[in-house]
Amino acid sequence: MLQRFLNPSILAGISSLELVAKTVVDGFVAGLHRSPDFGFSQEFAEYRAYTPGDDLRHIDWNVYARSERMVLKRYRGETNSPLTVLLDASNSMQFGSHGVNKMDYARYLAASLFYLAIHGQRDAAGLITFDDEIRNYIRPSTRQGQLHRLLAGLEQAEARARTDFSKPMRYFQELVRRRGMVLIVSDFWEPPESIVRTIEPLRFHGNEVVLFHVLDPEDVRPQLHGPSILVDMETQNQLEVTPDYTRTEYREKIEAHLADLRDRTKAAGMGYCLLMTDRPLDDALREYLTLRGGRQ
Amino acid sequence: MGFFAPWFLAGLAGLALPVYLHLLKRQTARPKPVSSLMLFESRTQSSTRHRRLRYFLLLSLRLLVLLLLILAFANPFVNRNTTALSSARLVLLVVDNSFSMRAGTRLADAKDAAMRVLSGKGAARAQVAAFGSQLRLMTQPIEDQTALRAAVQAIQPGDGHGNFGELARAVRAMAESVHTPIELHLFSDMQRGDLAATFSDMTLPANVKLETHAVVLKAQPNWTVESVDAPGQVWGKAAKPVHVQAVIAGYGTPAAQRTVSLVVNGKTTTTKTVVVPANGRATVDFPGLEVPYGFSRCEVKIDAADAFPSDDLRRFAVERSDPRKVLLIHNYSDNRSPLYVGAALSAAAQSAFLLESIDVNEAADRQPSNYAFIVLSDLNTLPPLLENSLTGYVRAGGSLLIAAGTSAGGRSQIPIFGAHIVETRDYSRVPGRYMAVGSSDSSYPGVVQAGGWEGVKFFYALDVDPGQARVIVRLGDQTPLLLEKRIGEGRVVLFTSGLDNLTNDFPLQPAFVPFIEQTARYLGGSERQGGARLVDAYLDLRNSRNDKAQAQGVEVTDPEGQRPLTLGEAASAQSFQLTEAGYYQIRLANGRQDEVGVNPDPKESNLYLIDDAVLALWRGNGGQASPSSQIPSTAHKTAQTLWWYVILLVLAFSLAESALASRYLGTQREES
Repeated sequence: MLQRFLNPSILAGISSLELVAKTVVDGFVAGLHRSPDFGFSQEFAEYRAYTPGDDLRHIDWNVYARSERMVLKRYRGETNSPLTVLLDASNSMQFGSHGVNKMDYARYLAASLFYLAIHGQRDAAGLITFDDEIRNYIRPSTRQGQLHRLLAGLEQAEARARTDFSKPMRYFQELVRRRGMVLIVSDFWEPPESIVRTIEPLRFHGNEVVLFHVLDPEDVRPQLHGPSILVDMETQNQLEVTPDYTRTEYREKIEAHLADLRDRTKAAGMGYCLLMTDRPLDDALREYLTLRGGRQ
Repeated sequence: MGFFAPWFLAGLAGLALPVYLHLLKRQTARPKPVSSLMLFESRTQSSTRHRRLRYFLLLSLRLLVLLLLILAFANPFVNRNTTALSSARLVLLVVDNSFSMRAGTRLADAKDAAMRVLSGKGAARAQVAAFGSQLRLMTQPIEDQTALRAAVQAIQPGDGHGNFGELARAVRAMAESVHTPIELHLFSDMQRGDLAATFSDMTLPANVKLETHAVVLKAQPNWTVESVDAPGQVWGKAAKPVHVQAVIAGYGTPAAQRTVSLVVNGKTTTTKTVVVPANGRATVDFPGLEVPYGFSRCEVKIDAADAFPSDDLRRFAVERSDPRKVLLIHNYSDNRSPLYVGAALSAAAQSAFLLESIDVNEAADRQPSNYAFIVLSDLNTLPPLLENSLTGYVRAGGSLLIAAGTSAGGRSQIPIFGAHIVETRDYSRVPGRYMAVGSSDSSYPGVVQAGGWEGVKFFYALDVDPGQARVIVRLGDQTPLLLEKRIGEGRVVLFTSGLDNLTNDFPLQPAFVPFIEQTARYLGGSERQGGARLVDAYLDLRNSRNDKAQAQGVEVTDPEGQRPLTLGEAASAQSFQLTEAGYYQIRLANGRQDEVGVNPDPKESNLYLIDDAVLALWRGNGGQASPSSQIPSTAHKTAQTLWWYVILLVLAFSLAESALASRYLGTQREES
């Protein structure tokens, strides 16, 4: 039942971002309970032979009693991985062909991730909002009220100016000192090689980097009913385009662009997740949990 | 192809509107925002061409709808060749039965010719009509040869005056309703007098083909009694000798002596010989017409010895009666009015009236209906009994002359006449001391014969409100002087001055005698309908149209002794057309008996023929729409309107335009 609320267009009717996040995460988690393949509680991992210096508290004394061999019982221990969300707040994120634009979708996504990280995983979570400058920075923390600070930061994030990864990236590296997970939410309207080249350094610092590529359906398949003048929302440049072009050449170009970006990010050891604003947020949360699981 | 209303084609200028809207108006495409133009490329040229192409169909549809609407208003038609309909053409056989066809064997010859044409047409659809003064259809359009032949044989000689203009008018009306080609066969003596006043009146429609069948090839000489001048009425035994003048005319005749007879009630009373010049006229005077009391049927006859004996006589009716009594009711002290009125009546030619003057006090025991008319002169009081009696007398058809005089000035209303008295006008006190006549109705006999009352001085008159009455004479200050009003079947004439020589000097003027004589004739009903009339003339049967309560039935007896009016017509008919030659007896609505002699139009006696060139022109006029009019099956073209087809096209294209336009508008909404 709660799955229904993961639909972005329904979430758009909820004014409180916290409630949006809670709705998404609760619905998502409820779905997970029915799936035994996923889990993140403490569990047995392996036995290892005792070597001098090991903590005696981890010796499995039952095994020693049966076999007079000292083995250590190891569990998948929980670690605190700080989560930092880099949110693109450029003008192009305001585009939306239906009820939810890309900025809203990105907000819901970030809010849900923060909620899941803080309430579910007790991870530290932080937020960096940027366009061609860094607009807002909330340091990752587990302190009381961090979720509210993050949600307030999301609320205040206004789409403006144009995207430029290269300029704020150097600041990312200074701000993201502690290794953890870095999730970049953007529509990535730049050449893939430029994007990957700019973001790669974060990976080099030992962060798990995932690109959440948020696109509107019309970004992929523009619907034109006649020759139209198109205006770039960031540069305000105008271009007259025909429907024939959007149906043929443009689609080929956008598919090539997405494939190129995906391949390059994978090759650089980063995660990539394409999110369409008319799709539920499950994919994004699942991607996060997969990554989170991998770091335990 | 043509247009019934071509001036609507001026609306073609409206075609510029869609062109302006589609091609000249600036296209205002609203820019559409996108996230990034990174992957887009410009396609400007193709987009412009595509936009124009996209609207071309819509523009064409709108232009078509507008064009068709304009065409629908202009009402186009095509001249449809009626070859396919030639089998459906109507053969119209018109046999002339006007009076001139009684000459010789003309009518029989015409019938024979019609029968021959009928035989030659086989099973064609035909219609038979007789044509005298007007077209009379004898059958419906049928193919039954027996019925058609019987209809031709049933055509009887008539007394009317033929007029080809009237024939053409009737055929034009028929052509509009028949919608098929008409083959008009006219069997006639082609008398020159039958031509219409203007040739355009004889124009036939394009789908009528005229074929003339002349039954006479050469004009025949003919003598006739062209006119007779005789009085309709004579009075008393001691009346002066009555003259009857007749004009004898010859058409195409040599100089000859003719014997002219005056016949009264079947007995020849006088015979005279007259020399009629070649192709000319001569007048015969019969000095003493002796007729007995009552109506006499008189004729003037000639021994023409020509081929047309039917026009050798001319009928007229004369009534002899005693002079009729006229009652003059005057004041006790007034002895001038009887003197002047009596002198004027006796001085008039043919003393038709005898005046009886009485004091108003003696009038109560008199029966008004015994008098031709009654004169009320200068009465200050009118006993109610007498007033009621006179009112009933007038409503039943009697006539009244009221001279207001000075005594009526004390009243507020003229009795019986009913006019309200506004004021009295005493002109003896104004500068000039009298008033002359200002304007008069020249059509009124009592005024015309009296020379418009010129030089008569009026010293006193009543100014009355005319109301519904007809004002015949006004004084110089527009005061009504002589008025007439119809009440029921009768007439009342009001003279707002007096008949004595105190209120005016009228009785002393020469105009007084003709005024009294004509007024007496008019009021006494001596202006009789009868005497002599022409065939197709109308007789007035009653005066009033609305007062049906007082209307009595009229009675008409035709020369055959039949009563042509039905009971309904007798109760309401205003007039009656005299269709036959002979003597008609009439009883009018006011109870008067009358008799008239009816004669054919003298133009029918002129047997000159129409020139062949004129006939050829007339025939050509009927079929001039096509040069190939000589061939009946391909001659005619009829205009067939295309209005319905155009309207259907407008409807179809409008629907298509609506569908297309809504699609484009929907597109524009989405784009915006």
